[in-house]
Amino acid sequence: MAAMHILIIEDEPKTGDYLLRGLRESGFTASLARNGRDGLHLAGEEEVDLVVLDVMLPRMDGWEVLAALRAHEATARLPVLFLTARDEVQDRVRGLELGADDYLVKPFAFVELVARIRTLLRRAPLREDDALCIGDMEIDVVARKVRRQGKPVLLTAQEFNLLHLLARRQGQVLSRALIASAVWDINFDSDTNVIDAAVRRLRRKLDDPFTLKLIHTRRGMGYVCEAEPQA
Amino acid sequence: MKGSLTLRVTLAFVLIVAASAAGLGLYLYHAFVGEIVRRDDIALLGKLRQVQQLLGSPGAQTLLRERPQYFRDTMSGQENSLVRIVDADGQVLLDINPPGERYPLPPAVAEGARPAVLAWTSRAGAPGQVVSVTGRLNGQQVRITVARVYADRTAMFVRYRRQIVLACTLAALLAGLLAAFLLVHGLRPLRAIAAHAALVRPGRLDSQLDSENAPRELRPLIDALNAMLVRLHDGYTRLSGFSADLAHEFRTPVNNLLGQTQVALAQRRSPDDYEELLASNVEELERLSRMVDSMLFLARARQEDVVPERQALAVEEEFARMAEFFEGMAEERGVLLDCAGSGTVQADPQLLRRALANLLSNAIRHASPGSTVMLAAAQVAGETELSVTNQGDPVAAHDLPHLFERFYRGDASRSAGTGSTGLGLSIVSAIMAVHGGRAEVRPLPGMTRFVLLFP
Repeated sequence: MAAMHILIIEDEPKTGDYLLRGLRESGFTASLARNGRDGLHLAGEEEVDLVVLDVMLPRMDGWEVLAALRAHEATARLPVLFLTARDEVQDRVRGLELGADDYLVKPFAFVELVARIRTLLRRAPLREDDALCIGDMEIDVVARKVRRQGKPVLLTAQEFNLLHLLARRQGQVLSRALIASAVWDINFDSDTNVIDAAVRRLRRKLDDPFTLKLIHTRRGMGYVCEAEPQA
Repeated sequence: MKGSLTLRVTLAFVLIVAASAAGLGLYLYHAFVGEIVRRDDIALLGKLRQVQQLLGSPGAQTLLRERPQYFRDTMSGQENSLVRIVDADGQVLLDINPPGERYPLPPAVAEGARPAVLAWTSRAGAPGQVVSVTGRLNGQQVRITVARVYADRTAMFVRYRRQIVLACTLAALLAGLLAAFLLVHGLRPLRAIAAHAALVRPGRLDSQLDSENAPRELRPLIDALNAMLVRLHDGYTRLSGFSADLAHEFRTPVNNLLGQTQVALAQRRSPDDYEELLASNVEELERLSRMVDSMLFLARARQEDVVPERQALAVEEEFARMAEFFEGMAEERGVLLDCAGSGTVQADPQLLRRALANLLSNAIRHASPGSTVMLAAAQVAGETELSVTNQGDPVAAHDLPHLFERFYRGDASRSAGTGSTGLGLSIVSAIMAVHGGRAEVRPLPGMTRFVLLFP
């Protein structure tokens, strides 16, 4: 599959730069427009798969860009994720009413943005595999059983849910907030120690007895499950 | 016109006084006119009786025939009296009628009966009255008619009317002036309030209006304004305290970020060192970010901008979810979690979980190793009580009243390095407030219990 192309429309120089760099390093191709008009122009010119749109833009603001995108046939169905610094309910409602697909409130974790983008780009719902295999680990999703090197690893229901989440998103860094939300339906900023403790518990059973580690901490970002740690 | 109370009240006052003066004038005028008319009628009838008597006296016929001017002089006297005597055959025996007036003849009544007085209008346009009776002259029946024109009377009435109108107008104007003066004078306390209110600004919210010397009617208004000032002062102090606290709380993480980054940049370092620095920066930034989120939540809850989406939640389920969530952390600290109680609670699920999570994370953090943290539910006096109890060092008595205040940390050493924002319990309290309930702390021997009370 060819890399997905993401158009970033953001006027704040540092934000634009790190988004461009971060998204390119996350396996997307990306381009950056520093104002609404250029962004709209690029959206019409390039093969864009998704737009990351800042709401506070000079001259032509994000709402106008969004409305213009939706008004054009070629870009009417283009997924748009908007970024806002104002966490007001009206703002969010307005964005979603104008046809945005998702939003993030600044400050947000970069891995959270990548996770949202991946979700939006997934045209069909993720097919749930009945079995997952990472390194020497096999997960039988239906029977909720885990084996490493053929030997069963006994996990609690929660530990299994956590592992299943990480394994399904193999290679993706998942933020603590995303893990809390997906595993426990905790959708607010909670004590990060809770997630760390849960992951440590899982690791004690899954990784400690083996030399090949599968769950890795990405400091400042979250956790990732993969067989080969990035060099 | 619409805006001025003084003008409106003055105008109303002028209208009221004018209307009552006019009513009184009208009444007096009518009474006066009635009295004059009655007197004139009596005079007219008297004249008629005089003529009758004269005719009845001996020699009247001769007198009538030979000296009609006698009648003119004595009977009529004034030019405006008209007398006519007609005999049964219709022959006019006497007709005193200087201007040659024509007046209607009322039906003559018999002698002794009270004749009807008929009104008419003279050729000059003045009102007149006429009466007619039958009398006897030498045994013969005659008809006597006496009429009179009241030119003076009309003029007098006109003068009288004018005087009444003038008096009414003057009274109304005087009343208006008086009302305006009284209002301007009477509204002085209001202007004093306005002058005071104009001086109210953020730094001077604590100055109160003087209600001692104000009229009794204005005291409720002044008291209400003073109460408003107190509330504003309170809110303002809280807000400025809030921003001061916030700025203060931001100092530590910002200082860490600045300091450690500058130290790192002072010389070349290995990639591992840089990585370490960046990760540490992320931790500080996350702390700042959490603080901003929490502050926004608190600000919104206080502005009543957070509307809980209440639903009936099974307490057992919520407790189980929390216990699961904190399982790992509790295990690491050697603490057991125990849930007791059932039933339902009307609450917003996300807000309830947030409150419980904040309490549980505190409880586990402060629990003595090997002890049990208890989650319990009970119905007390119509309220649902959810409690989180931990064993461990009790909270110092002097800390108890301040626990729910933002940024209050009972023991600074306890929260250092835990990434705590010092806002957890404030958020719990705010969540309970938006539910119309409250949060309490209850110290027990060797234990600390936090209780959420849902109405």
